[in-house]
This record gives sequence, structure tokens and C-alpha cells, in this order.
Amino acid sequence: MELVCPAGTPATLRAAVQAGADAVYCGFRDETNARNFPGLNFSRDELIEGVRFAHGHGSKVMVAINTFARVDDVDIWKKAADIAVESGADAIIAADFAVLDHVARNHSQVRLHLSVQAAAATPEAIGFYAAHFGVRRVVLPRVLSLQEIAVLNRAIDVETEAFVFGGLCVMIEGRCYLSSFATGKSPNLNGVCSPPEMVSYEDEPDGTAARLSGFTIDRYGPGHPVGYPTLCKGKFKAGGKTSHLFEDPVSLNAGGMISGLKAAGVTALKIEGRQRGKGYVSEVVRAFRKALDAVEHGGDAVDIDRLLAGQSEGARQTAGAYEKKWR
Amino acid sequence: MIEPRTDGRQHMQELTLPGFFQRLFPMAAGLPIGPLLTLSLRRLARRRPGLFERLGEYRAVRYAIDPVDLAFAFCVVPDAERSSVRVVSKGATAASDVLIKGPLLTLLSLLDGTVDGDAMFFSRVISISGRTEAVLALRNTIEDAELRPADLLGLQGVLAHCVDTGVLGALGAARRLAGRNQSET
Repeated sequence: MELVCPAGTPATLRAAVQAGADAVYCGFRDETNARNFPGLNFSRDELIEGVRFAHGHGSKVMVAINTFARVDDVDIWKKAADIAVESGADAIIAADFAVLDHVARNHSQVRLHLSVQAAAATPEAIGFYAAHFGVRRVVLPRVLSLQEIAVLNRAIDVETEAFVFGGLCVMIEGRCYLSSFATGKSPNLNGVCSPPEMVSYEDEPDGTAARLSGFTIDRYGPGHPVGYPTLCKGKFKAGGKTSHLFEDPVSLNAGGMISGLKAAGVTALKIEGRQRGKGYVSEVVRAFRKALDAVEHGGDAVDIDRLLAGQSEGARQTAGAYEKKWR
Repeated sequence: MIEPRTDGRQHMQELTLPGFFQRLFPMAAGLPIGPLLTLSLRRLARRRPGLFERLGEYRAVRYAIDPVDLAFAFCVVPDAERSSVRVVSKGATAASDVLIKGPLLTLLSLLDGTVDGDAMFFSRVISISGRTEAVLALRNTIEDAELRPADLLGLQGVLAHCVDTGVLGALGAARRLAGRNQSET
């Protein structure tokens, strides 16, 4: 199985490769990828250098061009794909039909991976992308149980890549309207969820209010840790109670399920977090490298939950949909 | 998005400057720290223009850096070869676009990557106000920069290595001393 790791900047790319990533994924400094944050991502020259570094260490580079193109500006996304190929990228991760079509027609030699943003979770959907665009791998939406992934893999002819650590989205992948509703910007179109220019922290008599575009997302008492005001993980009042209505701020950690994912036919394990720092990426990649090697070579099981407890959002972890314990 | 995390192994303490350092710094306020740091930043821009390119439009932002254990603050405009660093009074920080407050040792540790900026912010060791997007741009740029003291001093080769070892060693010692003082009080 391949370990696919996030690289938000060239320094993090190097950290991920040196920590044991088989492949890293990154994006350009614009809206063509779903982590379009200030100061993040790669220029063309940085990507060329990153590819050289990764290849020199036996790792691959995948470029995420995975947002949905604007109808009057599709050329920006197509150009990004051209630059990724010219820079030596090993794969392009995309969801938009125009991008997929452009790569399939003009760069058939590069691997095309279907982004999680395509939300393709059935043999019919995946088969469509494979037949029409030559998609070689699909990143699975975080809604399938292990049993469902096993059934899916028996019914398709492409590789599958599954998230194993990091942030979770509660929305249908690639179809979140919450951020657009509050801020006018969307992770799917603009590459930003809860854009930072609309974030504020204000000290008030009853605590520090974290706001997004004027909406109070959470409130923290003096001395209590604060959080980033991500809409779906905010606390809201409903039915007389204040709670995390949409989603608890927890991290996915499927580190204990690597054997199960392998048995289910998954080809690659994906770590979420291009916006995370080098220290986080190094620690998480090292832990999963150790755990994956133990599974592949029959070594002692790694207590990955303990290793990564400190890196989980809100210090809490979940196996997410892989176990679907709520059913 | 930046996600908060807690790391049970890190002590989210405010590493306050030991008393004798604090007594030294009022004297240092009279030195031309601002012009010296301005020269350093401009020298860094010449050696590593990519850093400032990464900052993009946020190069023109006025960042106020307020070490809470010093009697003065800094106003930094990281505009590449037009960068400026001024020593200002605490009251003057209100005119900045961004205000970053925290213990000096923690702020310095952010520069050399010893501590994670996200962790320091979410655990409230440092506080940030103003334009959040400018803070994020600065955070991502510093994360990628892997700065060393020699970078700021424009040194290379063996001299750079000696200075890095010396300065980082001194910084480490100061952190350990501050940590011990914190435990004893």
C-alpha cells in the first residue's frame, strides 16, 4: 500500500518525504486547489524543485487541481494541469469534468486520480470516470464502511485511496454550501472553507468570541484553548441547548484499521492536512509509516492511537464511517 | 483552515524571560535595534526573495510584534527590500494591521520553528488580533522559511554554522532556564 501525505509548502514536502511518504500531494497558489490559503502552496518553480527532491528520495508527487472551474475561466484550471505535467508531476488529482477531459485528451501519459471532491462512491460513478477520462485511482469519500469498500473494490477496475488521518467533513464531498452561505466563498469553487479574511476573535465580557463573517461560531472562557471558527464544527443554540450541531471537532484516525483497509482492497492510504505545519506532518507520517510497515511486513502492531493522540483535533479521534458505530 | 490541537507532551507555558534578562532590555531599547533589524530583514530579502514572494500582497501589512515581557514592541513591514522594523511603544501597536503578543522566547521560538504557531495560538500562549488572513500568510511563510539566525545576519558557510549553533544554543538555554523558573514559582 502507498502512503500519500500532504505537502502545503516546499518545506513540508521535504519533511513528509523524509518522514517516509511514498507520495505527496500539493497544489498551486491559486483557486485551482481546495486549500487555497494565504502563504500556502507552490509556485511553478517550487513544484519543479519539489518533484526533483521527491523523485531523488524515491517518492512521487501528485498535484491537486481539484476545485470546480468557473464557467468563464476554465483556462486557469487547464493551464494549472499543463504546468503540473511540465513540472514532472506523477499524477493529477481532479474532480471537474473540464479538467479531467483536458488532461485525458492532452496529457494521456500522466496518471489521473479522481479527487474526493467528485464524491464517487458507487461502481457506476467510478466506472463512468474510468471509461470517459481514463481515471486510474479514486480517492474515496469518507462515507463508506470497510465492508462497503470491500464490495466496491470487487466491482471496479481502478485503484482506491482512503483517508486515514486528519480533519473530517460532514458535508457531501465537494458539495458544501455552508461556507458559501456565510462568506460567499466555498471550498469547492474557491478552495477556501471559512476564509481567514472573514475570521475574527473578539474579547467580550463572557469570553472570547470566534466569529466568521459576523456569525459567532464559538465562545471560549478565559484561559481555555480557542479554535478556528470552522462553520460545521461550531457550537450553536437549538432546542434550548448549545452544542456542536453539525459535527464534533474530532480527527479521523483509522491507523488501527490498516489491515482491514488492505483486506478490503485499498491501494493507498491518505493523510489529510495540507494546511498543517511541518512538525505535525512529520509526526503523523512517521507514525503511519511505522504502522503500515508493520502490517506489510508482519511486524508487531503499532499503538498508533497513542502515538497520535496529541495530534488529533480537540484531542479526540474517531474511526468515522469505516465502522459506522452509530448504526 | 487551521485546526486546533492539544499536545499533551508539550507544556503550554508562557516562557517568561528570566528577571536578569528583563533588566537588561530597557538598556537595549536605547540601541538602534530598529535600524539593525531593518538591515537584517532587507538583507534576508536579497538572499531569499522567495520568502517575500510567498507573502505576496501581505508584504505591505504592518505587523506589530509585542513581547509581553519587554517594555517596548516592534512594528514590522516585511516588504522585501523595502522592509522596515521600528521599535515602538506599546500604545503605538493599536495602529497596526496585525498585533501578535506573547512572551519573547515564545515569539523567537516561532521564528526558528521550535514551537508550532498554531499550538501557541490555540493554547493562548500568544494572542493575535487584526487581519487573520495576514497572520495566516505570515505563519505559512515562516513555516516554509526554516529560518536560522545566520539567515537574519546574512552569514554563510562556517561562520553561519557557528553563529547558528551559538544563538540557538543560547536560546535553548534561555528556554530551559525560563522553564525552570516557571516550575519553581
